[in-house]
Amino acid sequence: MASQDSRGEDEVCPVCKSSRYLNPNMRFLINPECYHKMCESCVDRIFSSGPASCPVAGCRKTLRKNRFRQQTFEDIGVEREVDIRRRVMHILNRREEEFDSKRAYDDFLEQREEIIANLVYRTDVAKTEAQLQAYAQENMQSIKTNQALEEQEATSFHKKILMEQEEARMRQQIAREEYENERREQQATREDFLTRLASGSAADVAAIARDGHKVHLKKSSARRSEEERIRQKQAALRGTEGKRTGTPLAMGETAGATSGAGLIKGLRKIKTPEPEKPYDPFMGLVPGKRDYYTQLESYPYAFLDKLRSDTTVQAGGYDLQEYYSRTLLEAFAGLGCFVQEEVAQREATSALGISNPAATEGAAMAAVGKNAA
Amino acid sequence: MALSPFASRSPSLTVASPNSALRLKASAVPRSTGQAVAAKAQSNPERELTEQLNDDVRRKYTKGHFRDDPSSCVAIKKIKVNAEYKDGLTMDAIREVKYLQELSHRNVIALHDVFSSKDQNLNLVLEFLPGGDLEMLIKDGDIHYGVGDVKAWMGMLARGVWFCHENFVLHRDIKPNNLLIAADGEVKLADFGLARSFADPYLNMTHQVITRWYRPPELLFGAKQYSGAVDVWSMGMVFAELLLRVPLLAGMSDLDQISKICEAFGTPTEENWPGVTQLANYVTDKAVPLQGRDFFLRQFPTAGPVGADLLMSMCVLDPRKRATALQVLQHKWWTAEPRPTKNEDLPRKSGTKKMGDDLARRGGDNDDGPFKNAARQLDFGGMK
Repeated sequence: MASQDSRGEDEVCPVCKSSRYLNPNMRFLINPECYHKMCESCVDRIFSSGPASCPVAGCRKTLRKNRFRQQTFEDIGVEREVDIRRRVMHILNRREEEFDSKRAYDDFLEQREEIIANLVYRTDVAKTEAQLQAYAQENMQSIKTNQALEEQEATSFHKKILMEQEEARMRQQIAREEYENERREQQATREDFLTRLASGSAADVAAIARDGHKVHLKKSSARRSEEERIRQKQAALRGTEGKRTGTPLAMGETAGATSGAGLIKGLRKIKTPEPEKPYDPFMGLVPGKRDYYTQLESYPYAFLDKLRSDTTVQAGGYDLQEYYSRTLLEAFAGLGCFVQEEVAQREATSALGISNPAATEGAAMAAVGKNAA
Repeated sequence: MALSPFASRSPSLTVASPNSALRLKASAVPRSTGQAVAAKAQSNPERELTEQLNDDVRRKYTKGHFRDDPSSCVAIKKIKVNAEYKDGLTMDAIREVKYLQELSHRNVIALHDVFSSKDQNLNLVLEFLPGGDLEMLIKDGDIHYGVGDVKAWMGMLARGVWFCHENFVLHRDIKPNNLLIAADGEVKLADFGLARSFADPYLNMTHQVITRWYRPPELLFGAKQYSGAVDVWSMGMVFAELLLRVPLLAGMSDLDQISKICEAFGTPTEENWPGVTQLANYVTDKAVPLQGRDFFLRQFPTAGPVGADLLMSMCVLDPRKRATALQVLQHKWWTAEPRPTKNEDLPRKSGTKKMGDDLARRGGDNDDGPFKNAARQLDFGGMK
């Protein structure tokens, strides 16, 4: 803003050619699309009725009114670079905590600078832009969280600064008050001393002088210990405040989701919690599994015929299926047990020095399973 | 027993996850019956009695631990030899030992060992379950629980019952009081004093089993041949009690219980239960029509429509039409929303009661444990 004033009265709007001399309130605006400078009244005139192309000869960029803003830097090149930098940093806002190593983070910083340089010096603009857009699309979530973190940090930093200033002010005030108190007290003791001297006899002079000195010392030492106490209290207070402001910084480590994202290498792998398995009512056991046979609905067996026709038994709910199931399992229970193999297995494991009975049991079961298959 | 169908590695079951309780069992206990007898005397000094847990008339629970691992806890159930019962051990003691030593499942209380002490009492070394029982949770007004919690508890109960049935054991005394809770919140089926294996054809079973409020109609009518459906009815009653927080059918007598069942679910007749009139103790007072699905929806709104369906299938009067434990576990309620609560998030019993327990003890009481006359000793076992 200062720069505009320094240009003096000969500054002329390149569009309407009106100069500051004629219009002392003239403000110049630029649009980050093409960075062509024009005065406020031109912007109002040309762009009030919607987007229009830039009035500067040779520039065909379509501009919108709401994007116009005041220039910060005198050099339009610097202005542009700052804009580009801000935009790229906004998208590529990975934090150091998110990288495996310092090296990876440095590589990332270099890559970011390269992208900025490409955009500033207009080399490979289309390709770089495409890269940037793709990255922004893929990592929307992590970009957002990192932005939020940055904001949080900025506010907490701001708060901290304010607090420190306030503290410094308090300290100064206390010191000033202290000094005042001391001075006042000194004066009071002196006055007291003088009045006592004036009223007392000549013989007491030495005693009064000693007394006065002692009182002064006592008072000042009491004051000093009081001050010390206050200072300690404040220091303790500051300690807790410091800790409190420290927490949001540490939070950064947990934030940030989504995987690697092609553009940036060396990102730390983020463990996403495994989705909960569906509830299994049997908790791993398999119901109704039979290794050697399938159970039929009914077995022709004369012994059971009377039972089948007995309504009392039927009404009581006696279930022949349960009987079939039990007898069949009992009948087949001995199959698949090969004692010799089990013994061999046991000897083998005991030779290895494993004496865990659970392991032997497991091995025996495995052997049984192999035979069954 | 040699051809025991309930062996823990029965071919009918494949255990996918290694269970810590199982391993403990495997390492601590000789599993075959023949060895167990021999091991009784040796295993006796393996545990040290530390603290008395609970008083019962015939049973006494003591807390103990394995000698090689003082941090482990076991409950020792001492069954006194009954003076009037001259024919050896009581039936319930035999039943408990017989079936518990065969069943090894997460939702069935583990029997680590059995030993007899000097005075010929039988001591069962059981898994230590400090979480109380489901009845305590139901009755404690300070504890609030939701459908997810009920689903988790019912799931554990149904798994335990299904495992027993899969191994051909009828529990025959399922009630909230017998559903103990482990330290990690797991519900375990306990008290196998009335358990038996499935009967052979033509073999009569007693119908005087199962606590009355949880007894199914076929037992009340005196059926002597029945199936696993009796346990499923009890399970349904527990389910209803968990939802309502009061027993659903609290009959004063067996007859009252029958009339309560008729009032709630409808009167059993030849139409809805063929052959019921021929059961020994069949009685009816008034004919109430069979209750439909809307009754369950109205009575148990918290369970949701799917839960009400499950409860209805467990409370069918005719045992042949009632769901089996397997069908209960295959029901779609388990996978419906809400998901069963994780064990660690389940409500626990409040500790306040336990703290006041010793205050309630009268001054003259002294524990007549095995070391009654011994001087008290400091126990340094925990410091190992």
